[in-house]
Amino acid sequence: MSTVTLYSVANGLIVAILTGLYSVLPHAYFGWLVNPDLILVLSVLVFGAILLAASMINTIMLIWYERKLLGRFMDRRGAMHVGYAGLLQNFADGIKLFRKNTYKPRDADGLGFYAAPTAYMVTSVMIFAILPASWGWTAGPLPLSLLLALVVFSFAPLFIFLSAWSQANKYSLIGGMRSAAQMIAYEVPILLAVVAVVIVSGTFDLTTIVTMQTNYWFGIPLFVALIVFVTGMLAEMERIPFDLPEAEAELVEGWNTEYGGMLFAFFMLSDYLRALIGSFLVVLLFLGGWTMPGWVPSSLTALPLAALFWFLLKTYIVFGVFVWVRASLPRVRTDQLLRIGWMRMVPLSLLAIVLAALLVLAKCLPVLGCLPGVGG
Amino acid sequence: MSEMWINMGPQHPMTHGLWNLRVRIDGELVLEVDPEMGYLHRGIEKISEDRHYNEVITLMDRTCYVAGMAWENLFILGAEQALHVEPPERAKWIRTLSEEFQRIGSHVMWYAAFVQDIGLMAPFLYGMRDRDLVLDLFQSYTGARMTYEYNRVGGVRNDLPPGFIDRARKVCDWLLDRFQEYDDLCLGSDIFRKRCDGLGVLKAADCVRAGITGPMLRSAGVKRDVRKDRPYNAYDQVEFDVAVADGADVTARYLVRMEELRQSVRIIRQCLDWLERNPGPAMAENLPRWMGAPYAPVGKEGYLLKRNYPKGVGLSAIEEPHGEALAYVVNEGGEHPYRVKLKSPIFTNLSAAKHYLVGYRVADIPPIMGSVDVCVGEVDR
Repeated sequence: MSTVTLYSVANGLIVAILTGLYSVLPHAYFGWLVNPDLILVLSVLVFGAILLAASMINTIMLIWYERKLLGRFMDRRGAMHVGYAGLLQNFADGIKLFRKNTYKPRDADGLGFYAAPTAYMVTSVMIFAILPASWGWTAGPLPLSLLLALVVFSFAPLFIFLSAWSQANKYSLIGGMRSAAQMIAYEVPILLAVVAVVIVSGTFDLTTIVTMQTNYWFGIPLFVALIVFVTGMLAEMERIPFDLPEAEAELVEGWNTEYGGMLFAFFMLSDYLRALIGSFLVVLLFLGGWTMPGWVPSSLTALPLAALFWFLLKTYIVFGVFVWVRASLPRVRTDQLLRIGWMRMVPLSLLAIVLAALLVLAKCLPVLGCLPGVGG
Repeated sequence: MSEMWINMGPQHPMTHGLWNLRVRIDGELVLEVDPEMGYLHRGIEKISEDRHYNEVITLMDRTCYVAGMAWENLFILGAEQALHVEPPERAKWIRTLSEEFQRIGSHVMWYAAFVQDIGLMAPFLYGMRDRDLVLDLFQSYTGARMTYEYNRVGGVRNDLPPGFIDRARKVCDWLLDRFQEYDDLCLGSDIFRKRCDGLGVLKAADCVRAGITGPMLRSAGVKRDVRKDRPYNAYDQVEFDVAVADGADVTARYLVRMEELRQSVRIIRQCLDWLERNPGPAMAENLPRWMGAPYAPVGKEGYLLKRNYPKGVGLSAIEEPHGEALAYVVNEGGEHPYRVKLKSPIFTNLSAAKHYLVGYRVADIPPIMGSVDVCVGEVDR
């Protein structure tokens, strides 16, 4: 099961189509159809298309989920009119944004203005090729997938600042400054919290990290790291209480003030993609990934895509916690945010590393398993 | 990032209306502010000079659209002084009741807008939801939810409908519970306290010097409330405490307004008791016939009859939800007021912006301005 990956499926599909075509066409002229380079390029394209479609649909459903959940927290019902319980509302919104003109302010810098949302979006989608959602939902074996995901994840402040600067708008500039300061400040505790996980698991491979959590979640012994990671992710996603780069009360719409239409949709979708990635990472690193608890009957676990479903369920629950936080907390101020980041989060994450090291020293983890198995 | 001026307004989420706050900032620090008002000037005072007294009420509703009833009350008190008309006792109590309901409506609206400024999303909708109940009550006896046109020279247009008092009591009980919920959501949150404590401080002496009134003044510890100091309507007959706080900051203003909400419920309950026990006319019975008619009666020959309005001057002051409002109404014997002058409390509170904004951060501007409770309609008039 683990040898079949999403990429190998795409690859097999392309190979089947091309060899099929080749077999019925004259071999003399169509030898290029079975050229391995062509097959490689097409497989990567199909793999990317599958990823893009899956991540987009997931993101749009995530927005629906947030709107409904937020609505309930606010004593209302959320979107109700397009589709059953408003399921299609976001598709309608997307079509509306898609049909709008994209315009550029006169003084804005064209290259930065158009390149930044694209790059932001691309890097966000890229992470989905790295994160395994279940067995084999990757491009292939990636021994450093965790490191790669975090590296790509941390590109964002660069593009945000690029777009903020190129818009020639003071609100955008302030928002971009805030965003860059905030994201860079919170990279540090996030990475340190991840170090705790790496110390315990001894690997950067996310698939291995998940399989190691079959008996117990890393979030239980590494509780401090979990808290640091979730808080840091809230800041990285720019969600309340850390959404001050786009604090609409003072900065209109923050660093994407001047964007409209599809360019705005790019930012919006990327924000939710990053929220999804954040929830993915929390589940993968701390909450056992797609490993199922022992009490689930094997007839269910043997079902195709059962692990994927379990993983997405956990992801959505984690995201629900983020929504809950958003519904109930006010926004902090920039200086307070940075103080929390440097003065509270960094020491806490250092403490988490020390705890992880102690656990490893005590030979409790991960092979001996002296902690009781608590299920997936 | 060097120093720069940014325009917060006139189209900006912080303004809650149509005004402009020009801010000179250095990074996140506010160096200088310059409030610009006048975007919503409609010439209400001037238009009033061309209308019958009962028609001016329509304009008063639009003066502050969030607290229309208070401004109706204010003008009508001045007009009754100018015209030497005394409303019946029941009308006074109904006006008191209306004004307190309006205070709740306005303060809850303030709460909703204020918490949204600091990023609390859910309480915003809780506030709007609870304000709707008050608006429903208004609708049940004035027919309108925001612009009521309910007061008349010499009383109120109509009496309360049957069943109103029970409904109002239920709403009062519900609201008291909700106020506790509001407090839990705000004061119970560390982030809220961190955002609001020590913010926008304006000490009592500075408040007095700048002419600031209302919750802002009381948050600095000055126990000044027109309802107590110069009672009008039935305020001399109801029991209530003037809400004061010490901090002179955003939290103190929050506390004052929350306490005022509770005191309003207390006053409303007394009003409801009194109104239940004392039926009677809600409109003065001995009014001259011309008073109620907005247009002059037409004589036999087809031209307008001259009406004899008594000359007089009226000066009324009420404690509007935002502060102390004044109306100066001069009657020179014509059918329309000769002059109407309104004093808006928010105009003064807003003009003093540089005293409580400079030195704080850009992110502090929304909560501070939120705690001032700006209603641009009455600033510009």
